[in-house]
Amino acid sequence: MMRLRSIRLLAVAGILSAAPAFAGADFDAWKNAMPAQPDSLVVRHATIWTSGPQGRLENADLLIHKGKIVSVGQHLSVPAGTVEIDGTGKHVTPGVIDPHSHSDIVGDVNEGTNIITSEVRIQDVVNSESIAVYRELAGGVTCVNLLHGSANSIGGQNQVIKLRWGATPDEMIFASAPPGIKFALGENPKQSNWGNGAGHRFPQSRQGVEQSIRERFAAARDYERRWNDYKKNPKGDVVPPRRDLQLDAIVEILNGKRLVHAHSYRADEMLMLMRLAEEYGFRVATLQHVLEGYKIADEIAKHGAGASTFSDWWAYKQEVHDAIPYNGAIMWERGVTVTFNSDSSELARHLNLEAAKAVRYGNVPEVEAFKFATINGAKQLHIDQWVGSLEAGKDADFVIWSASPLSSYGLAEQTWVDGRKYFDRADDLKHRDALVTERNALIAKVKASEKKGKDDKDKDKDKKSDAPAKPAYLQWESNSDESSPFESGRAGAEGDNR
Amino acid sequence: MNRAARILALSLTLAAPWAGLASAEVVALVGATVHPVSGPDIPNGVVVMDGARITAVGPASSVHIPVGARTVQVTDKHVYPGFIEPLGHIGLVEIESVRGSTDTRDIGENDASLRAQVAFYADSMLIGPAVAGGVLYSHIGTEGQVVNGTSAVMRLNGWNWEDMTLKAPIAMGINYPQVAQHGRFFRQTEEEFAKAKEKAVKALQDIVDASRTYQTARSAMANHTGPAIDIDSRFEAMMPVLEGKVPLLVYAADKPTIEAALDWAKKEKFTRLILATGADARLVADRLAKEKVSVILDGVLDLPDRRWAPYDDVYAAAEALRKAGVTFCIGDGGDASQARNLPFHAAMAAAFGLPRDVALRSVTLSPAEVLGVADRIGSIDVGKEASVFVSDGDPLEMRTHIEQVWIAGQPIDLAHERQVELYERYRHRPKATGSTPAAAPSHP
Repeated sequence: MMRLRSIRLLAVAGILSAAPAFAGADFDAWKNAMPAQPDSLVVRHATIWTSGPQGRLENADLLIHKGKIVSVGQHLSVPAGTVEIDGTGKHVTPGVIDPHSHSDIVGDVNEGTNIITSEVRIQDVVNSESIAVYRELAGGVTCVNLLHGSANSIGGQNQVIKLRWGATPDEMIFASAPPGIKFALGENPKQSNWGNGAGHRFPQSRQGVEQSIRERFAAARDYERRWNDYKKNPKGDVVPPRRDLQLDAIVEILNGKRLVHAHSYRADEMLMLMRLAEEYGFRVATLQHVLEGYKIADEIAKHGAGASTFSDWWAYKQEVHDAIPYNGAIMWERGVTVTFNSDSSELARHLNLEAAKAVRYGNVPEVEAFKFATINGAKQLHIDQWVGSLEAGKDADFVIWSASPLSSYGLAEQTWVDGRKYFDRADDLKHRDALVTERNALIAKVKASEKKGKDDKDKDKDKKSDAPAKPAYLQWESNSDESSPFESGRAGAEGDNR
Repeated sequence: MNRAARILALSLTLAAPWAGLASAEVVALVGATVHPVSGPDIPNGVVVMDGARITAVGPASSVHIPVGARTVQVTDKHVYPGFIEPLGHIGLVEIESVRGSTDTRDIGENDASLRAQVAFYADSMLIGPAVAGGVLYSHIGTEGQVVNGTSAVMRLNGWNWEDMTLKAPIAMGINYPQVAQHGRFFRQTEEEFAKAKEKAVKALQDIVDASRTYQTARSAMANHTGPAIDIDSRFEAMMPVLEGKVPLLVYAADKPTIEAALDWAKKEKFTRLILATGADARLVADRLAKEKVSVILDGVLDLPDRRWAPYDDVYAAAEALRKAGVTFCIGDGGDASQARNLPFHAAMAAAFGLPRDVALRSVTLSPAEVLGVADRIGSIDVGKEASVFVSDGDPLEMRTHIEQVWIAGQPIDLAHERQVELYERYRHRPKATGSTPAAAPSHP
């Protein structure tokens, strides 16, 4: 990753140094420096959805100091020199948390070879350059749970990140977030939709999925015992057990040190996993998708798993036959911690509106519905002491919206992470033309050198005016496909993993 | 029908899921703000529906409610014309991943004779949620390889495809061959791609050329100036297209493909075009306006195609089309199970600049115009089909609830919609007490 990144940067630097002709272009348009963190910042006179005990406050202020929230309330007194933002008519909320994403991952989301792949880690493949990071910021998202796909009953280790656009992969990692792992049940691990050639790997049934997990749990317990025995050996003259990265992760699961996020659709398979976990003495952190969760809401609540569902996806495969948009509301009514997730780089951009669907389907009160996109996700990922609500002491991850975050007409105007402004719609609009001018200048440069190399004779022909007849952002060469080799494609992650 | 019979019909309607059984009755929706879409909103309005049609619309002060009409009080509510999904697959697919349940595609270059409506599954479980979401008509088409066959506008209530077909054919679908490759998945070499494209362009051209030859020969046969020819159902299906009676529904996603398709259509003198496309339409908006091409912007809730495009590229495309004067409507991307989210595609366009009244129009009257059925549906006007819904607010807001639905004058039993039934059943499940964990989780 880092090697490729350096090569790309070098390549760009090479072009720029050879290009004095673009002196007029605004090369600062795509900001590379980390946004400034004002010492002290206050947003005044806004409607503040705290997603915390203070509920929703009218005409309220949010005070921040060095990236942390100091207080939320009315008429706050602030230190001298505090940067002020007028929030009159605006709505301020915690940053949106996406509990289920494949957006910002380099390469393939699924390690589809084996049924158990607990040794692979998203932290090794975080794609900080994915444009999805910026697009999600523009939808008010600040924190994302990156998961492997659902090809394996015990999949890879997930990674919670903060959307610090411009930072390196390591800098994006949410360091305090406890480790976790993806599980998957049902059609995907049993390869139901992998084509006709995929009928040979065990398991091909839900019964098999259970046993594939149970067998590894047992193996992990044995592995742990061997290590414990070894460590108890006072003389140190015994050969240690062979290190097994796969079982290391599963031991952590069994000991409650690694959170299980289990892709699951049907009530039967979710009940199975919760009972299996109980047998081994741990709790499933979240059931992901959990589309028939409404059928076993009491059981989920009693077990203590969170439920991260789609607001209204259904019917795309057999196991979502009975998915209903009231799923979130029923589970919420029965005491489950509920979130709506995206599983899609597009849907991730308006999870605030997904939350509004909990009002549409099942009449969840607005403040509670909005928590489906904020604090409830933080609770599910066990990061609620730092993010998810606007409360004193928490990270200053917040969004300024033009209207209610539950309104179809509301836009994220600014998105802040750690008290730094990573997205500003006004800036974005202002810099668009400059970006395209820069891009077109680079393309022109490349084309000119190509042409020169190919055919010196015609170099004086075809001189065309560069003057744009339309705004610059409508001038692009639309037939060129610019998807970076790093970009997590639409065709890749979404369709395959839901 | 006398009053008693009408009451009987009504009670049958309300009691049973077989809503279509109810005989025609006269219903007056009273007290709501009526949003005809074709004209200004009417506070405290009245809509009178007699049988399948709207017979009166206007303010309470001026509309005469016929004697014997059933009055439905909808004070403080809103009445809108049903949404029209401008391009979709409702009825052609049940479970997307189960091959046996999908009739959305076929193979072969010339599928001109395929008629979408004949595969429409009238009892599809996907219809109920769409209707509950206010989507009362859907324009469905088969997707093929080159020439796809004809599409149809379906009314989402009835007994079988025949009585649910509002109009067919609507248009002849063609996939204009893609000019450039996209994405990093399944990429061909440049040579392979160029070859495949050339083959596809030739296939399309061959079909049109052969259809014209067939047309000439057929007319010669009819005039007894030429020999008898074999009847070919595929070429027969192309005749109304060549005669300009049925428009072409051209699928072309990106700018160069749209431009190539327009050039081709011009060369072939196809003047009636409906372009099914995405946000790239904004890049050729002036031309689309000038050449009077109708556009189905098929999905607003979508990602930009290019990494470097503005993040709101797709969200803002509809407003760019409007500004350029393009005739357009907004679609939902055609995923049958997601049709109920059609209004939210329009809503996102509104959030990014499209005036709200135009956004509402883009999923009601505009699709009716684009599809050539605006004389029958798309607004609340006298003479049109009585397909309306009652909501507690702006239907482009997700928080709004759609409370009552009529399709061609038939009240729809929303309480027995399958997903609502599941909701009610499990919502009222007695609290589970029996399940005891084998061991209480000790952590985390």
